[in-house]
Amino acid sequence: MSETKDIRIITRPTKEQIRQAQIDFAPRCTAAGRVNDKETQKMVQYILNFARKHSLFLLAYGTGCGAIEIPATLTSRYDAERLGIRGAATPRQADVLMITGYLSTKTLKRVIRVYEQMQDPKYVVAFGSCTINGGMYFDSYNTIKALDRYIPVDVYIAGCMPRPEAVLKGFAKLQELIQNGNAGNGECYRKNLDWYRANQQKVIKNWDFPDEYNW
Amino acid sequence: MTTQDIIRALNETFELKAEVLHGNQIRVSMHKKQVAPVLLYLKNQWGFIHLDHVSCVDWIEENVFELVYIVYRPQDQLTVLVKTKIHREHPEMENMEGFWPHMRTYQREIREMFGIEFPGFEAPREFILEGWEEIPPMRRDFDTRGYVKRTYTTRPGREDAWSVREYITRRTGEKLPDFARKYSRD
Repeated sequence: MSETKDIRIITRPTKEQIRQAQIDFAPRCTAAGRVNDKETQKMVQYILNFARKHSLFLLAYGTGCGAIEIPATLTSRYDAERLGIRGAATPRQADVLMITGYLSTKTLKRVIRVYEQMQDPKYVVAFGSCTINGGMYFDSYNTIKALDRYIPVDVYIAGCMPRPEAVLKGFAKLQELIQNGNAGNGECYRKNLDWYRANQQKVIKNWDFPDEYNW
Repeated sequence: MTTQDIIRALNETFELKAEVLHGNQIRVSMHKKQVAPVLLYLKNQWGFIHLDHVSCVDWIEENVFELVYIVYRPQDQLTVLVKTKIHREHPEMENMEGFWPHMRTYQREIREMFGIEFPGFEAPREFILEGWEEIPPMRRDFDTRGYVKRTYTTRPGREDAWSVREYITRRTGEKLPDFARKYSRD
């Protein structure tokens, strides 16, 4: 019986070989010293933006009459969930704050509190003519006229009121902005907080906000 | 139990002149001290168990507020409009929160929006508005446009918006009455 056995001789690698392998196969984002590499940053940012734009959690909070379009957008006819848009119960779980329609000064106070509770990155979509320039409430004593004086806005959707197609178009625009890295104004809000606070205090008369937020 | 019976009863009991507005609506005007007895009479004697609405009208030319209490009888869908006029300088009306529970809501709204006082009415003063410092906003001498210009900032682009009232008068050749011009928003 002549049976040849394939015997592989295993030799221990030398110390130099081990060092070389450690350098070659080290993961790029650990302490190997390549975290701040520009290309890596770009790639990580691309993946993050890609993930963010396909999972937009919309805070279930409606301010004006436009809130009636949101159920139509989210449910089976227009089915916004195929684009990754779905509802979130609390501000701390949400990505998108949608201002649906006119905003009275009383509601503005709550909206600011909600916006400041949201985690970064956070996006604001303003819905309807009322948020752009007052709409049909342009001479009302009780509603604000331009929303971006009080909180930063990413996308405006014009119309009175916009149909679900327009809402989806607005969200497509928001996704485009997110992919390009141009959306999310939480940083800008923190930086220009004095200007925003001055505008807010001009409208909200019984100001009882805490002095500092720990964002 | 028809409208004529109610009109006759109001005339005999309170010496009021009621009239039929439409098919099943009755309108009756009175002094403000008569409102509470008339409402109680209609509620207890004639079965007007439901208070539909309490509304307020600002007749600034006559220097009065007009309060309208609308009560309703569900059996035959009959409505009575109880109207009264109160002076505009120190507007006061009787507190009737015990008659119907939801009278509180209407009284709070009228007190906030028109500044009409209800002596003995102990609901919180702040209802719909928050931190309001001007005169009550539904009064016609409240300068809405001026307040908006003072308080809010608008984006440019609405300058070509026309005054609707003036546009209609110009198109139809109608002469705008003085009081309308005096209290119009432009």
